[in-house]
Amino acid sequence: MTRSVPPELAAPPAATAIRRGGFGRGGPRRREGWWALLFLGPTLIGLFALSAGPILASFGIALTDWDLLSPPTFVGLDNFAALMADERFQMALRNTVFYTVVSVPIGMVLALGLALALDQRVRGIALVRTMYFLPLVTSTTAIALVWLWIYSPQGGLLNTIIGLFGIPAQKWVSNPVLAMPSIIAMSVWQGLGFNVIIFLAGLQAIPQEYYDAAAVDGAGRWARFRQVTLPLLTPTVFFTGILAFIGSFQVFDQVYVLARPGEPTKATITLVYYIYQRGFDQFKMGLAASASWVLFLIVAILTIVYFRSQRRWVHYQ
Amino acid sequence: MSAASSARPGLIRPRRNRARQVRRIILVTLLVLGGLLMMLPFLWMILTSLKTRAEVFGGAPLSLPSGPHFENYGKMWNALPEVTFGTFFLNSLKLATLNTIGQLISCSLAAYAFAVLSFRGKGPLFALILATLIIPYQVVLVPNFILYRLLPHPTSQSGNWIGTQEPLWVGAFLGGAFGIFLLRQFFLTIPRELAEAARVDGANPWQVYRHIYLPLAKPALATLAIFTFMWTWNDLLDPLIYLRDLPQYTTTVGLSLFQGQFVGKWPEMMAGALVSLAPMIILFIAAQQLFVRGIAVSGLKG
Repeated sequence: MTRSVPPELAAPPAATAIRRGGFGRGGPRRREGWWALLFLGPTLIGLFALSAGPILASFGIALTDWDLLSPPTFVGLDNFAALMADERFQMALRNTVFYTVVSVPIGMVLALGLALALDQRVRGIALVRTMYFLPLVTSTTAIALVWLWIYSPQGGLLNTIIGLFGIPAQKWVSNPVLAMPSIIAMSVWQGLGFNVIIFLAGLQAIPQEYYDAAAVDGAGRWARFRQVTLPLLTPTVFFTGILAFIGSFQVFDQVYVLARPGEPTKATITLVYYIYQRGFDQFKMGLAASASWVLFLIVAILTIVYFRSQRRWVHYQ
Repeated sequence: MSAASSARPGLIRPRRNRARQVRRIILVTLLVLGGLLMMLPFLWMILTSLKTRAEVFGGAPLSLPSGPHFENYGKMWNALPEVTFGTFFLNSLKLATLNTIGQLISCSLAAYAFAVLSFRGKGPLFALILATLIIPYQVVLVPNFILYRLLPHPTSQSGNWIGTQEPLWVGAFLGGAFGIFLLRQFFLTIPRELAEAARVDGANPWQVYRHIYLPLAKPALATLAIFTFMWTWNDLLDPLIYLRDLPQYTTTVGLSLFQGQFVGKWPEMMAGALVSLAPMIILFIAAQQLFVRGIAVSGLKG
């Protein structure tokens, strides 16, 4: 069965042409302009007050020292210098990069394998899929509490399980070496279904004829995977990768719940946690804003590099 | 896929077919085992929420409780002074509903303008909205906080919007890049002839939007609704930043508070987690197709 590729998967959104109005020139079009203003009113207010405007304002704020009690003072790039010198910020940066570099590839490889396995017509497969998809709708806060209990040194499920194999009990979230991997394990579990869904859509968009042709040519299962499935899936892998990467750079909830309330140790503090703490705990608005710009710049630069790389490994049909 | 090819008798000999059957049974068994592993945290949560503390620390971890100890739910419900967990639950419900309504209205209006109307600056404006999609949300945290701190509020203690629930839903009525993009894509699939015929008959753009586009876009609207509801229900960072008093807390902030209240009292905590997860789990099971299609088509971040 062949399903059409969703347009967003096949081409970046910007490439889809914006339709021109179908009505004649002059009168009706000009009147449509007023209608458009009415329809777009709420969005325009939101754009300038809550998203595009604040993005610009945020850059200005990043250049100030502002505790909200006294007026802001202009300090130039001092905040950025302060960030670079701040050990907690360095830790946050390092931990966020570690989280991304480990969780994104593991999550994607697992999801790809699962999608391949789940892409078949067997009775009850929908129910099996549900089991893999369910974690993705759960609130990270609630489910992280469950994982905190799984990881608990007293009576926790994980220590009991590894105990069966004779492995000594571990302090999963309070041991600095294990804390981040423990958080990553939970995130991979929770996010797996999301990537599986996108991969399944990608797999089902590959025309059956390609497999038939390869089978006629005598290609075995592995050859078909290497030469049909994988190349035709690269656009989906590309798309999933960018979402996973951007999402993982914004990790917060897991850390907030798992890594001891209020005060993540240096082993687990992440960029967004740093922003939250500096901005809304200590009211250092300038410092928080500059940290959010560092986050944005890293994401933007890596996104551009990633998009540049697609020519080398992404095959569009 | 393999079912389709095995249906053709010429290509596959019976013996290979048998091997394929065996392989498939093994694969499905592994998948089911993996699925059960995925469900283990949920099972563990439910079991724990029904046990006594002694059972939790004494017995085997996956043993059944001596009886359903529903009293854990009562203790959890009334754990905090002056408010019950029901207050948090209703707050989350209120905010999720308001956000959903706000997004449906404001995003469908804007999406209609982008998909159907023609006006000057349409392309650049749409590009600007898409650009905000790419920029991490955290960049606007600080300026938005400052903005809400400047807005006067008639009933709040601070006199401004900080410490009220308003920052958590008013913005939803002012559009959103995800929703606009999702609905615009759907609106573009609706044949323009419908709108043009209605216009010839004297309908104005509002009537076309209200009586042609909205009714036809129900699947896309449902997708947006379900995701907005989920995001709001699960959001932690914003409520944490804006809410100050217990009676305003959402389930997520309330739960994170439990951590400090209930050190070591896992049955109560698991009862709280379960109650706050239940609406999303029910919604997912009822509308799995909408979730799956929404993610597959637009890659909405869950």
